[in-house]
Amino acid sequence: MRATLLPAAQVERGVWDLNCPLWLLHRPGAPILSAKLWMRGGSAGDPGDQRGAAQLLAGLLSRGCGPYSGDALADLVEGCGAGLRCEAAEDATLISLKCASDDAPVLLPLLLQMVCSPWLVDDQIALERQLNLQTLQRQREDPFQVAHDQLREQLYGQGPYGHDPLGVEAELRRLDREALLLQAEQLGQRGAVLVLAGQIPTGVSELLLAGLGDLSWTSQVPQRLAGPRGSGSCSLATSPDETEQLVLMLGTTTTPLGADQALALRLLHCHLGIGMSSRLFVALREEHGLAYDVGVHHPARLGDAPFVMHLSTSADRAADATRELLNEWQRLLQQPISPAELELALAKFRGQEALGRQTSSQLADRQALVLGHGLPMDFADRSLEAAAALSPEDLHRAARTLLARPCLSLCGPSSALRAAERQWGRHALNNP
Amino acid sequence: MDRAHTCHQPLPSLPSAADQALPEPQQEQLSNGATLVQIDLPQAPVVCIDFWCRAGSARETLEESGIAHFLEHMVFKGSQQLAAGEFDYRVEALGGNSNAATGFDDVHYHVLMPPEASEAALDLLLNLVLQPRLDPQDFDLERQVVLEELAQSEDQPEEVAFQELLRQACGSHAYGQPILGQRAALEGHEPDAMARFHQRHYRPERCCLAMAGPLAAIPSGLRERLEHSSLGQLRPGTEPEQNPAQLALTPGQARLELPRLEAARLLMAWQLPGAADQRSVLGGDLLTTLLAEGRRSRLVERLREQLRLVESIDLDLNVLECGCLVLLEAVCEVEQLNAVEQEVRQVLLEMQEQPPSSAELERARRLVGNGYRFSLEVAGSVAAMVGNSQLWQRTHNLQAPLDWLEQWDATALQRDLVPLLAPERAFCLQAVPVP
Repeated sequence: MRATLLPAAQVERGVWDLNCPLWLLHRPGAPILSAKLWMRGGSAGDPGDQRGAAQLLAGLLSRGCGPYSGDALADLVEGCGAGLRCEAAEDATLISLKCASDDAPVLLPLLLQMVCSPWLVDDQIALERQLNLQTLQRQREDPFQVAHDQLREQLYGQGPYGHDPLGVEAELRRLDREALLLQAEQLGQRGAVLVLAGQIPTGVSELLLAGLGDLSWTSQVPQRLAGPRGSGSCSLATSPDETEQLVLMLGTTTTPLGADQALALRLLHCHLGIGMSSRLFVALREEHGLAYDVGVHHPARLGDAPFVMHLSTSADRAADATRELLNEWQRLLQQPISPAELELALAKFRGQEALGRQTSSQLADRQALVLGHGLPMDFADRSLEAAAALSPEDLHRAARTLLARPCLSLCGPSSALRAAERQWGRHALNNP
Repeated sequence: MDRAHTCHQPLPSLPSAADQALPEPQQEQLSNGATLVQIDLPQAPVVCIDFWCRAGSARETLEESGIAHFLEHMVFKGSQQLAAGEFDYRVEALGGNSNAATGFDDVHYHVLMPPEASEAALDLLLNLVLQPRLDPQDFDLERQVVLEELAQSEDQPEEVAFQELLRQACGSHAYGQPILGQRAALEGHEPDAMARFHQRHYRPERCCLAMAGPLAAIPSGLRERLEHSSLGQLRPGTEPEQNPAQLALTPGQARLELPRLEAARLLMAWQLPGAADQRSVLGGDLLTTLLAEGRRSRLVERLREQLRLVESIDLDLNVLECGCLVLLEAVCEVEQLNAVEQEVRQVLLEMQEQPPSSAELERARRLVGNGYRFSLEVAGSVAAMVGNSQLWQRTHNLQAPLDWLEQWDATALQRDLVPLLAPERAFCLQAVPVP
């Protein structure tokens, strides 16, 4: 595909007197507007004894702000047929608005209203907190979630990335208005960026600023700063569960988006886990029929991002699946991928970038993420160029540096756990 | 049921007033009866090619349980011209991707490609889908993958509960049977039987090829090329097509204990007119949105916001040919389950008596309308919409759903659709953790 990823959008730097950068991606086509306000400090910014605070606060921002009660706000937003969501991920709290362009004038002021004047009434806090507690409980039904939570603890311990953004039950229960007010004051202070994409109304800065009224917002330009680190290495953890399948997650902590070798690792991700021709899909599913769902989880992060291979397999094939999965990881450390494999990985990397920019929301989302990480506007284009210059040896070096000692997390029936543990115990990866 | 693990797509729902003209689908017939539909989206960065066939699980005989979906897997194991995995490799090396999905009514296979590579992908896709090799060794291996897919879904208690709801609500109708199939049947399937299923159903008059994206990239003479492709060369069927019977959902009540369930579920199912009645489909979208989409919808407001009985409550319209299904799911504590059921019934009874206000209706209309408009941003969802419509001989354009949406008013909803969602017309399943 083409070298530049923003061919259909005209990029403009919005002008206003806030520190938070404002970017406007004008797109022809449908009269739709998408806005993404990315504010650093998601669940990784939760105070140590208040895990779950960022997500709880995020859920409350639309339950009353500025002149609107929660009901009034819902009436306004839903009455326009719009979507307005606020969620905390590990690195950031993200407010997303998607609406018909005609409705933008009444909806855009909400963004800064939510950030600067949330009501945080006790009754709504109690409701939102209860909903988050229930969701945490329900997630335990999913063996993938159980294995994933367990791996997160292996990789990050009690560190900033060590908990689900929804929080930790005992701490979430204690979160009150006072704690949330403190959190709310910090929104945007550690760096924020606002990206609008689609058909953008004229006078957009004024519309946005109308939400501030007489208040001020002390936001900052996102900087390149060191993010949370990983802690664990090479451990095994198991959760017995009466399931049909064994879930396996093999992973380690790596490096932030934009760091040295992050791009090489991204290409390894494409090689291993993107598409039906990917290495894991072919080796584990097509050649051995060991799994239906197999892949790689490697989100972009400000800190040491996880890099995880995952699959689920029938309990009676646990030994084979474990051995093959460990072999695949070992293979990355032992030998470089072939030039043809690198070529395919590059095609996927380019394809992913282009396919991920079909809608205004996708476009705004990706740009907000990049800018929120303190990276330049043309980061994606630069990455495409830089990726083309990488060699199989570069990728091999990145694997040896970043993927040396993975942890294994298992969830499933005890017979399968024992079979998998035996494979782990005797595998070269665990006995270097 | 997708070949690759993906999230459930919301059903195509619907738009708003600030209308600019929407692109028109161009439909034509190949000489053997296969349908081609193209829709030009000049701004889209990719082309979607979507092949549809009326060969969903509802076409299976009892012995064929799961074979429609299993065949969808086997297709990617190669054809007379393509080795196993070669299709994936060639599509992905060109920067594209592919997937497929089997439903009750139909199956579709789609690729997303950079415009300049879309022509190459077209021939590959048609050859793959229409001349599958069904190699016995690959067949045994892929059976394992399908069994893993089944096991994976059985480990999600929520999916088990939904399957049980459909089984009891739909009686002997195919919609009550799992698309993935019964384990015992899957273990017994043979390539020959699958080949017969393919020959019986993959016939030109039951197929539709949809293309959406910047079509200027595709050289002229497409029609001519298609006549010579695997699709154009396909021979029409000799037997008349046997359409599955209409659904007749049985109202009722059941309780189910499930291991590994953490929160209780209230599941309910109702039947609405089938997809052929598109006006009703739009009305159903409007009604379910009014009831359960957003904080100010009746069910969410009452059960989650005011009474605080549920963690979540959803009401989805599943558009199906033999009768649409409206499915409700409420997630709550076991102790609250009876109160939740009572309150859901109460809200629905009130709905029978109290027509929606104009504000409620307008809210729902805007939500449904914008949802539809937003979905038109993506070539893949446009291709799926026009492909699926043409497959079932519905020739309306993209604007029509918006017009139907405008036509519904409170009186018509109250008269035509609300009675169909009466509590006594539902099958209701309570799923609780094993004590």
